[in-house]
Amino acid sequence: MRGTIAKYSRIWLRTASMGMQAQLTYRLGSFGFLLGKMIRLLFFFAFVIAIFNHVEAVAGYNLVETALFFLTYNLVDMLAQIFFRGVYGARRTVTEGDFDFYLVQPCSPLFRMVCSTVDFLDIITLLPVLVMIGMTFARLPAYPWTAYAAYVFLIVNSVGLIFAIHVWAAGLTVRTQELENAIWIFRDVMFMGKFPVDIYSSSVRAALTFLVPIAVMTSFPAKALLGLLTPSWMAYAVVLSVSATVASTYWWRSCVAHYTSSSS
Amino acid sequence: MTKYLRAYSISLQETLQRRTTLMMDRVGGFAIVLSLFSFWNALLGDKSSFLGYSRQEMLTYVLLINVLRALVFTGRGWQLVGEISSGRISSYLVRPIDYYGYALALDLAQKTVHVVFAFLEVAILAVFIRGALFIPTRWETWLMFVLAAGLSSLIFFFMEFMISSLAFWTSESGGPLFCFELFLSFAAGAFFPLDVLPEALRRALSATPFPYMVYFPARVFLEKVSPTEAAKLIAIESCWLVVFIAAALSVWHVGVNSYAAEGG
Repeated sequence: MRGTIAKYSRIWLRTASMGMQAQLTYRLGSFGFLLGKMIRLLFFFAFVIAIFNHVEAVAGYNLVETALFFLTYNLVDMLAQIFFRGVYGARRTVTEGDFDFYLVQPCSPLFRMVCSTVDFLDIITLLPVLVMIGMTFARLPAYPWTAYAAYVFLIVNSVGLIFAIHVWAAGLTVRTQELENAIWIFRDVMFMGKFPVDIYSSSVRAALTFLVPIAVMTSFPAKALLGLLTPSWMAYAVVLSVSATVASTYWWRSCVAHYTSSSS
Repeated sequence: MTKYLRAYSISLQETLQRRTTLMMDRVGGFAIVLSLFSFWNALLGDKSSFLGYSRQEMLTYVLLINVLRALVFTGRGWQLVGEISSGRISSYLVRPIDYYGYALALDLAQKTVHVVFAFLEVAILAVFIRGALFIPTRWETWLMFVLAAGLSSLIFFFMEFMISSLAFWTSESGGPLFCFELFLSFAAGAFFPLDVLPEALRRALSATPFPYMVYFPARVFLEKVSPTEAAKLIAIESCWLVVFIAAALSVWHVGVNSYAAEGG
């Protein structure tokens, strides 16, 4: 087991290093993408702060609490971007025949497809988010260590849930050689996690909790830290993440079993 | 003219033929609007107005964003970058057409489809809020809104055309284009009304063409500007359009002259 982890860590680090070198080669392009990501983060954050110059609370949350929700969304989203970036190029990987090579390599094709493309710019963008989360923590009242532990645990759980969704999308691409847009829909719908789930109507909230569990990924960790999440909801989040991961892995295996190579 | 109308017609059919892609694009856009709508709805709570906008006006602004995004920000910038970088542009340059006229025809076809769908989405949300929207009753308002929105759509086309043309000189023009599109979304008021921003920043932005993309057309629709002021804004917008047409075409011609037909 330790050997396997070491092997995959080595592969990931190597691909991350290669990704970084490629991005450093394309300086203008990389600078543009990095600046764009920073603009998106900072403009939205400025928007949240500007709003609270005029109101005291949104859906019962004050500025610091709303910032916590917003930054938690960014943290989860960026972690997913860092680790599961490969899915965004899955269609090209399949249609150009590269997936055939993945299948004969001494490495899990799922890992190669989902995890072995690393955008170094996302790692850079993550740093200000972590600093801002630290600053937000400092402005919140002191919570017991269990609240922080629950926050970190549910962030990890969210990443697991996002992994399951990416695996499902990768499987769909292998099976159909198209529908790469499926993962882009997920990204757009993830936008709904920028704000606390409590702002939505009860039906939308239910859909975001049970159908497309954006709330579980983005709002649950922040709510756990604020002491607003009951243990039963935490248990639901864990059960959902584990069952989604298991189901998506079965789905992936079934898709690969039906794969007949699509390139010459 | 007939050939451009034919290009428009073919592109319209092509966009409608890719139903899954279209549907997925629209689902993503709808998620963003639903999210912003819910945010403002929660923020307004039982307040009758916010930042000088009544509840009805603010919710209308958010829904109007959906239509204006579809009309203004649906573009072909990334395709142009791909066509120049891969050399596919060569096959267009030898045809008896002006490429920018051809690109404009394709652009208008995509905008037509997306605007129709955007109206449908807004209608769905309007049903849920039981018609609590601001609908102008003066015909001049409608006329000025259509003029302002049409001009902003053309400004965006030529702006994007100009930035995408950087691909003639560098294969890294995707980065600046990505950065430009994100900055524009915020600076144009496509996520929130610019009234949220501090006065100094708002003044600085009003000296640029960006607020003319979404913010000003929306204010014209909401009758937040007098007819005289609206006419003045449209005149300024027309000047910006002339500037960007001249700039985009100059960059294009210089780019084509320096083009070396790399690729296949």
